[in-house]
Amino acid sequence: MIKSKQLMQRVLLFGIVPVIALASLIVLAGGPATSNNLPLASGPRLVSIQALPEMDTSGPMCQLMPAAASETLYAALMQAPAGASAQATPGDLRNAIKDRPPLRVIKDPYPTYSAVAMDFTHDEIVLLDENLFQVMAYDRTANTPASATMTEPKRVIGGHNTKIEFNCGLYIDPKNGDIYAVNNDTLDTLVIFNREAKGDVPPTRELSTPHRTYGIAVDEVAEEMFLTVQDAPQVVVYKKSASGEDRPIRVLRGNKTLLADAHGLSLDTKNGWMFVANYGNAADYNEQTQRQGGQVSSFGGRVPGSGRFVAPSISVYPIKAEGDTAPIRVISGPKTKLDWPAHIFVDENHGDLYVANDGGHSVLVFKTTDSGDVAPYRVISGPKSNIKNPTGVHVDPKNDELVVANMGNHMATVYPRTANGDVAPKRVIRAAPLDTPALQIGNPGAVAYDTKRDEILVPN
Amino acid sequence: MHDVRYSPKRDEIYVTNPFAQAILTFSGDSSGNKPPIRIIQGPKTQLGGIDTLEIDDVNNELLIPDGNDVVVFPIAANGDVAPLRTLQGGDKVGWEPGSGIAVDPVHNVLVTDGTITGKDDYVNPHPGGRDTIFIFDRTAQGDSVKPLRTIRGDKTGIMGIRQMQVWPKGGWIIISQITDGGIAIPDGTFVGVWSIYDNGNIPPRWRIDGKPSNIMLKPRGVTLNPTHKELIVSDMRLNSVLTFAFPELFDQVAQAPRQ
Repeated sequence: MIKSKQLMQRVLLFGIVPVIALASLIVLAGGPATSNNLPLASGPRLVSIQALPEMDTSGPMCQLMPAAASETLYAALMQAPAGASAQATPGDLRNAIKDRPPLRVIKDPYPTYSAVAMDFTHDEIVLLDENLFQVMAYDRTANTPASATMTEPKRVIGGHNTKIEFNCGLYIDPKNGDIYAVNNDTLDTLVIFNREAKGDVPPTRELSTPHRTYGIAVDEVAEEMFLTVQDAPQVVVYKKSASGEDRPIRVLRGNKTLLADAHGLSLDTKNGWMFVANYGNAADYNEQTQRQGGQVSSFGGRVPGSGRFVAPSISVYPIKAEGDTAPIRVISGPKTKLDWPAHIFVDENHGDLYVANDGGHSVLVFKTTDSGDVAPYRVISGPKSNIKNPTGVHVDPKNDELVVANMGNHMATVYPRTANGDVAPKRVIRAAPLDTPALQIGNPGAVAYDTKRDEILVPN
Repeated sequence: MHDVRYSPKRDEIYVTNPFAQAILTFSGDSSGNKPPIRIIQGPKTQLGGIDTLEIDDVNNELLIPDGNDVVVFPIAANGDVAPLRTLQGGDKVGWEPGSGIAVDPVHNVLVTDGTITGKDDYVNPHPGGRDTIFIFDRTAQGDSVKPLRTIRGDKTGIMGIRQMQVWPKGGWIIISQITDGGIAIPDGTFVGVWSIYDNGNIPPRWRIDGKPSNIMLKPRGVTLNPTHKELIVSDMRLNSVLTFAFPELFDQVAQAPRQ
């Protein structure tokens, strides 16, 4: 338990530090071109241009103080407020501020791939871009030459009208090529586009979802769609055709489930199993805490004071599980090497379970019958593999290939299905010039400034 | 993670882990897969719906909005520890906090966002209950505390606050307004500055609008770089960090109203 605790605590900082380093790098280097790369041309929008009323200058409202550019925030804190001996702010100066552009911008102008799926009918690899909020479709055999800046996608769906934001989960309907894109933290909407969709178009269909959905899988025979929710951790199952405010037909949730910050989801319809990847951030769940006075409480069902770190895991359930149902088995422990297990994929034909192991910069392969603290029987990882912060994984049974979406390096990498070890990819779909660092700023909820190191801290 | 704070005095970084109900402290030089040096977590903490935090480097405290409360721990607390004190909102006192929080140890006030629980003349079209700035005595605690001052109303432009900061030396409150996180590109976003003495339905003293020409769409985080007199914003729609020159904030001081 101690080891797993430390593991989870370590990975939390992982999201901050690369941003500090890379942000410093970009700023010092002058940064990428910003205005030409920002997705600002997504159509007109209403902008509030409200003149500020004149300040009451009957008293000494604001005062000028000597510049103190060298002092730290703490040093400034320790000083008393300045005296009342300066002049008020001129009104025209205040008006100028509302139109003030930034001095510097830290932004990754290139796509970062968060999830992958395949359209076997049309021989396409489809990728989600969680940096610029896009769906990008490529020819399956696309391969970016080392000398090329990037590979152009065949189609891109993106822009304000698409309702795509922090898109993290992807499913392609094998019957008609419809694209299902899961939004994670903000818009609480699953958006569905038909195969021909392109550009800044509204979704063909939308479904309101719980907050913080991540993984998606579909049982095509039963026509049921499964989504994971990070917190309160649960699996919600809808009719595949659900739309609007349709409610789930089943919910798997509760303390017996051992769900803990649920992420990836995959189904084994042959054996009737459902697999869920868990980061390991846990708290007890209570329905009464979930709803207080008819409203969803700010605790989100978490029992106060019950929080804990548990080992990352893959938990396995009957495919029709609902309510507070315990898993039939759990893959977890130090031998598993699980570290931020993101999307997972079950290869029913070979009985394999693939894990995009974000924190471990690896793809782990287990047998779907594995249980307990078991080592993966194959691990794809290392400098030759180009696997860095992988979050998406998909097997192509037709061509016997494995496709990995890497958030850490602007790349989707393709391997033989049976790859093992530090193997170079057969093909690479790259969205940025070679060796361009991926900043991985995603949903930056806050920001801080380190006065000692002159660094900006960005949590993701 | 929805918040991060840095202590220059202690050279430490603080973040929350909402799903595991934990406050994690890292050394300032942490890099890579490094464990925290302290964790606040456990039954005695009674942490429930935490999201954000603030540190008070002068009084050595950690302050965390949690549901209807603001709970305060010693900054060096570690393990399963009870809070030092709790400031409780709710229907009884007519206000409830959001998640924005900042402390001004010079003026000795605690600043939060939130909303009032009753009705008044202001109708915020956006959900979330983060349309008001409350200013409390820094050490206020209990379930019957009224704010010292309240900034709220249509003239304020406040509809949905996220991260908050204060500049104690100048007496300024700085907020990022996201308006409504459930809208991809919401209208009415801005970074605004009020005086620590402001009270009522008054506009910000300064305001940088969220609009394409300012390369700012959905400001979620905000902090200050006093060394270079800059204001730093994290923008969640652009997945970016924007740095604005803002010498006015550092060169001027808010004044208390004449008695």
